Amino acid sequence: MMLQLVEAESSKKPSVKQTVLKMEHVTKRFGGLVAVSDFNLDLKEGELLGLIGPNGAGKTTVFNLITHVFPVSEGKMEFYGQDITKLNTDKIIRLGIARTFQNIRLFTNMTVKENIMTAFHAHLKSDLFTSVMFLPKYQREEEYIQNKTWELMKEVGIEHLADYKSSSLPYGLQRKLEIARALATNPKLLLLDEPAAGMNPDETLELNQLILRIREKYKLTIIVIEHDMKVIMNICERIIVLDHGVTIAEGTPEEIQKNPLVIKAYLGAGDEDA
Amino acid sequence: MKRTTRVMLSILLILVIYLFVFFAEKFMDPFIKRVLNTGFIYVILAVSLNLINGFTGQFSLGHAGFMAIGAYTSALLYMSPEQKLSNFFMEPLISPLDQIQIPFFWAIIVGGLMAALAGFIVGAPCLRVKGDYLAIVTYGFSEIIRSLFNNLQNITNGPLGLKGLPTHTNLWWTVSWAIITVIVIKRIVDSSYGRALKAIRDDEIAAENLGINLFKHKVLAFVVGAFFAGVAGGLLGSLLMTIDPNSFSILFTYQIITIILLGGLGNITGSVIVGIGFAFLMEGLRFVEMPMKIFGITIPGILGMRMLIFSILLMVTILFFRQGLFGHREFSWEGLAKLLSKRKVSE
Repeated sequence: MMLQLVEAESSKKPSVKQTVLKMEHVTKRFGGLVAVSDFNLDLKEGELLGLIGPNGAGKTTVFNLITHVFPVSEGKMEFYGQDITKLNTDKIIRLGIARTFQNIRLFTNMTVKENIMTAFHAHLKSDLFTSVMFLPKYQREEEYIQNKTWELMKEVGIEHLADYKSSSLPYGLQRKLEIARALATNPKLLLLDEPAAGMNPDETLELNQLILRIREKYKLTIIVIEHDMKVIMNICERIIVLDHGVTIAEGTPEEIQKNPLVIKAYLGAGDEDA
Repeated sequence: MKRTTRVMLSILLILVIYLFVFFAEKFMDPFIKRVLNTGFIYVILAVSLNLINGFTGQFSLGHAGFMAIGAYTSALLYMSPEQKLSNFFMEPLISPLDQIQIPFFWAIIVGGLMAALAGFIVGAPCLRVKGDYLAIVTYGFSEIIRSLFNNLQNITNGPLGLKGLPTHTNLWWTVSWAIITVIVIKRIVDSSYGRALKAIRDDEIAAENLGINLFKHKVLAFVVGAFFAGVAGGLLGSLLMTIDPNSFSILFTYQIITIILLGGLGNITGSVIVGIGFAFLMEGLRFVEMPMKIFGITIPGILGMRMLIFSILLMVTILFFRQGLFGHREFSWEGLAKLLSKRKVSE
């Protein structure tokens, strides 16, 4: 009886949010250029973090470091407590990090449907023999992939374009396809690199809703890089501002908007400095 | 169209092909039979190279090397000890190879497996480079194999080659292996693994960022492609009855590359049709190498003129049909059904 009570108590108590991604003193140097210097991050489960900064500030480099497109020069990264600093890209992705790209990277010779189906391969359980022989185990997996793909296409609203070549889609829809493809890897953390680039205001509004909706539905933690302040200020709970690889500010959208350092980074120095 | 219907139709087609083989083996002119055999070996080579070059996008020039490994391994296994003894008069064949003789089928399989092993050993370091570099490295591999086989006197009989190989290869063998190759590679390409390979071809960075292990999948394509190249080498050895290291030079790889470019990179139907067509063209164009009399001027026969025609054909294809003669159009039962129903409507 007592035990039951205690259990009930503990389940009611709001649990402390788990840390999804922890980055400590992460630095990246390309020769003499310091692209990212001493970047620190403690990202909690369910958070929606914005990463902003002028061109060349090192935002995309941070994403490339997380997914190990190139190794960090210094520092440490942990994903749900597991050290991922030295893991290869494909392993990191399989742990549950997915990303989209600033310059869209779709498989241009494949259809919309195939693009998403490809993303399920990382978690495929059937081996080559089972797949080639089309054994029942593989048939079941293939069916699961088909259903899930359909579900994801509906989620982002491209199901009517399933059999079109991915390169024939308009820009905005290509971005959505990339998000759907990233979701297909079953991520816990989603990295969106300028998802609103090239979208008109209506599409941007729709994108905001999409991001909030998928966060809810797939229990995601999200980091967004974006230049469009309509996205950043409306949906992000916390913002980090980078300039020349250095973190110059961190806080809520309101705090960031008032921060003089941020204004200086974006608009240049005021008259008194000139 | 249902999957079962498609499978039934495919089985029917295979039966029809075997019926053809049955009659061809009995009544067909030996010369045409020989050309057909070569054609089906070209099919095996082209489809397997297409898996590496066309579907995975890894431009390999090492196919002749894998063929050589398959051809020598199987030949040394299916030749009888007496045949080996008469071949190796310079230096004796090392034991236990000189005593072994196993059935043709198993010899071919072992030849394929040896080539696959070579594919794995070569692929592991080579596939860390991309594009032109990979082409150069794999070309180097095939030249190393040629040079090795020229010098390993007590295993390969060196530049003398192996002569008087027993003729086991007939249409039953070549057709069966061509069918197996097409089915296996078609199934790989259509499966989740095939999607991963095509993803690597289209965009490596994106593929890696979807959790696809690039290296593992490239090696996979390499090993499967090398296996079938080894099988084709074994079949070709027994068809020609003689093999020597220099017959597996880079020129052979170029021929196969010509086939897959003409048929379309990543197009199995194209590789099959052009592969068989290529064998017939090679024979049919022999007349251009004969001395000719044009407008009263006698032109002496020039060896290699056939290849000139193929080069022109290849250039025209690349200029005007960038995707190959067949583009992305693959044979499918659905497509055939649609074509037939359309024709009926127009009638």
